Amino acid sequence: MAEFTSKSYFDFLEEGRIMGSKCMSCGTVHLPPRPICHDCGATEMEWTELGGEGVVQAVTVINVPLSKMEGRCPYAVAVVKLDDCPSISGLVHGVKEGGELSIGDRVVAEFVKEGDKTTLCFRSS
Amino acid sequence: MRGVGVRLSREIAIIGAGMTRFHHKLHADKTSRELFVKAALEARGSVDNGFELPEVEALFVGNFSSDAFEGQIHMAALAADWLGICPRAATRVEDACASSGVAMNVASMAIASGAYDIVMVGGVEKMRGLRTEEVTDTLAMAADAVYEVGAGFTFPGLFAALASAHFAKHGSNWEQLAAISIKNHHNGALNPKAHFQSEIMETARKLGERNDMTFEDELEFLRSPLNPVIAHPLRLFDCCPVSDGAAVLILAAGDVARKFTDTPVYIRGIGQASDTLALHDRVDLTTMNAAKIAAAQAYEIAWVKAKDIDVADVHDCFTIAELLATEDLGFFPKGEGGLAAENGRTALDGDVTVNPDGGLKAKGHPIGATGAAMAYEIFKQLRGEAGRHQVDDVEYGLTHNMGGSGATVSVQVYGR
Ligand SMILES: [Zn+2]
Repeated sequence: MAEFTSKSYFDFLEEGRIMGSKCMSCGTVHLPPRPICHDCGATEMEWTELGGEGVVQAVTVINVPLSKMEGRCPYAVAVVKLDDCPSISGLVHGVKEGGELSIGDRVVAEFVKEGDKTTLCFRSS
Repeated sequence: MRGVGVRLSREIAIIGAGMTRFHHKLHADKTSRELFVKAALEARGSVDNGFELPEVEALFVGNFSSDAFEGQIHMAALAADWLGICPRAATRVEDACASSGVAMNVASMAIASGAYDIVMVGGVEKMRGLRTEEVTDTLAMAADAVYEVGAGFTFPGLFAALASAHFAKHGSNWEQLAAISIKNHHNGALNPKAHFQSEIMETARKLGERNDMTFEDELEFLRSPLNPVIAHPLRLFDCCPVSDGAAVLILAAGDVARKFTDTPVYIRGIGQASDTLALHDRVDLTTMNAAKIAAAQAYEIAWVKAKDIDVADVHDCFTIAELLATEDLGFFPKGEGGLAAENGRTALDGDVTVNPDGGLKAKGHPIGATGAAMAYEIFKQLRGEAGRHQVDDVEYGLTHNMGGSGATVSVQVYGR
């Protein structure tokens, strides 16, 4: 079984799958995957696949970027609560101006490959 | 999970304090070691009955990233070296933007443990050697590099996202954030150590003249293109500047402090807590749990309540951070921090004065120096030496220093 690491997480994204770690003791799902349960401290985990639909919990549109994002502003980034449990951060495509995307809006996952890395992004649904 | 508080088994006193002015140009010709020495010499000179540097038994230095900013690590030993106090133990503390606030706690515990009677604690950052994009990249290192920065978040972006969540849940708004910025610039204009020493209207007039624009009031200027959006809803005047500077305190055990001064300021309580680095791992995006826990610890040790605090320096790296801090520290109920600021309750003459020195917003934020500079301010306030931004009748002061987007928070409570 793949280890519960960022390497495994990104390898799964490459296959178009969002995989988290599920605590075998209390059932809490962790995304990104982690080896020690946030909730109960247990260390027995199994992989679980998550659906890509969720709702925006917090959002911004960035105008002053990181150097790797230069030339791509403005772009939206959000904390998204997935329907089947945990939250995760990701770019949200198709949003140009602040206010077009609001808390509570529904989004759906997109797997974006750039160079040799696939990242989890979202699109307004 | 509950935090675990610290017991202080000896009294801890601040006997001297010094800081450089925080600025983006003034220190262009100086390195971190020189800024630290400058602040340390001012701290030495501030000790009422005289103080010699070799009396320092140990040194603690908060520093965020001289690694990235200057290509120099090992800042504590370097500072000890240039202060001429080798072979005294010198320890660097790095907890992102809370580095020197945490260093204050470590130094306090070093005295409380009985290991030392007199320690020097401070912080330093020299940030202006890098280009803006490089500074943005370096600041983002305080967030989760893989899962937040990797997802596209900048550091201002994380606080903008927190603001969006607070607006949605509690009905707060950007005008309330603007009130915080206006207040902090007003206070900064009264502080000779501040990076920005002008009221927002003064800046509006100056920038307006250059751009052929006039503004009726602060809000009209703050809504204009001259105050560009950095990360929606945060604009330039919601963000602290990038500054160089250093701040240094001299701490002594209560039983030796009176040898140095008749008016020491006592650290009555300390607290510190952690939280997940990534915002997406938190249950509630409208509160900083580490701040609540660190404050509860410090209040308990100091035997005070939030309502007893007269003056507080809180970590307003962004205006929304001050709003959150004033709620999480218990000054105002959750959801009412913005309204309180708008109604002047945190002003110099308010119920609890917040950031009388201008805060990070106007005073500046040389990251590693910030926690120590907060202690400098409260030391001055409690001794009635703050000058034009002195608050009346100060009995208890508080400092709140936050690392990253709330993954580390240190709190100190001070009294006379
Ligand atoms: Zn569990």
